[in-house]
Amino acid sequence: MPKQEEDRILRVWTPILLRTILIAAMIILVGGLVLDYTFAPDYYVERYHAVQQGHLIGKEKFGLLFDRIRQGNPHAALTLGLFVLTLVPLARVAFCFILFIRERDYTYVALTAYVLAGLIIGVLVGSVG
Amino acid sequence: MLEILTNLFALAIGAGFIGAISGLGGGVFIVPALVVLAHMPMKVAVGASLISVVATSAGASVAFVRDGWTNLKVAMVLECATVTGAVIGAYLAGVVPTVVLELLFAAMMLQSAYFTITKRGDDILTKGDPLAERLELGGEVPAEDGNPAHYEVVKVPQGGALMVVAGLMSGLLGIGSGALKVMAMDYIMHLPLKVSSATSNFMIGVTAGAGALVFLARGDVATTIAAPVAIGVTAGALAGSRVLPYIKVEYLRTVFVVILLLIAAEMGWRALSGI
Repeated sequence: MPKQEEDRILRVWTPILLRTILIAAMIILVGGLVLDYTFAPDYYVERYHAVQQGHLIGKEKFGLLFDRIRQGNPHAALTLGLFVLTLVPLARVAFCFILFIRERDYTYVALTAYVLAGLIIGVLVGSVG
Repeated sequence: MLEILTNLFALAIGAGFIGAISGLGGGVFIVPALVVLAHMPMKVAVGASLISVVATSAGASVAFVRDGWTNLKVAMVLECATVTGAVIGAYLAGVVPTVVLELLFAAMMLQSAYFTITKRGDDILTKGDPLAERLELGGEVPAEDGNPAHYEVVKVPQGGALMVVAGLMSGLLGIGSGALKVMAMDYIMHLPLKVSSATSNFMIGVTAGAGALVFLARGDVATTIAAPVAIGVTAGALAGSRVLPYIKVEYLRTVFVVILLLIAAEMGWRALSGI
């Protein structure tokens, strides 16, 4: 593997992913927890106990996320932050794919494409089921 | 509210730190702590654990990939096997009784712990086998003195076979199976332990990321719990990834054995309690 090319790409993608993680953390902390703590700490505790009773599971559907953000629900920020964070490891595979294409390392382009395809199938099958 | 958040943060920071240095993801602490200490339903704990694995991987891989600890090629070859196992596992769900799988997994963890105890330090190979050399899987262990040690890799098919099993177990039991990943790389393929740990960290996030997306889409992640856990785990993992280069391999093996025994106990408990 040409070391310089790899180092160059890593220098570009490391700060992008680190910033994405920090953005996700800020959305969760400021958008969700700090707002909750400042304006409605009882609401958070109420939800915590509802989760303990198993009541909130299956109700925070991702499809309704943007509606809830429009309604100003701070808990939508928690979901959004978790979603952004979840994309970070998956983005790394996509970056690897680009890295191997740039290096014209077609064996690894094929292997990475297989992994990406498997992940997409997994997500689609899981979502449907 | 502050008390709940403080407890969740403290648990998560510790789980993220140990998950990052061991390459096992931290879910092993999150599940029992949430179920036993916080009285959360198992489903909530599993969702939070999945998010914690993603967060550990996201946080730890920043430094591990940048500093050259992660072997991206080994990760990609083994991830092919893991993904295949996970997809087969998703289809086989319900065919094999979960209790049998949990007991089997507990036994595998005990055996892994035995292997880890009996192995000392790293046995770095200077010659890989033909397949590994063709796939250019060898790499370098970063060194502070500027003279990185080169290592080669062997037994790729055997490592891949164990990864198919790891993927199957992930698909069937909903666990990260980072322990099997580290075992495959450290014990079978002879990668240095820290490289195995960093590469496992990269891989577990990929599979768990796909799982977490499904959980989020279905609404099966209790964000009230998972969000503070994610923040704490990310912070712990960022710290752990900066400490790993300075930890002696022998200490790391001890940490690893303790966690393997904990996983074995947890799986045995799950099987016998019927959760």
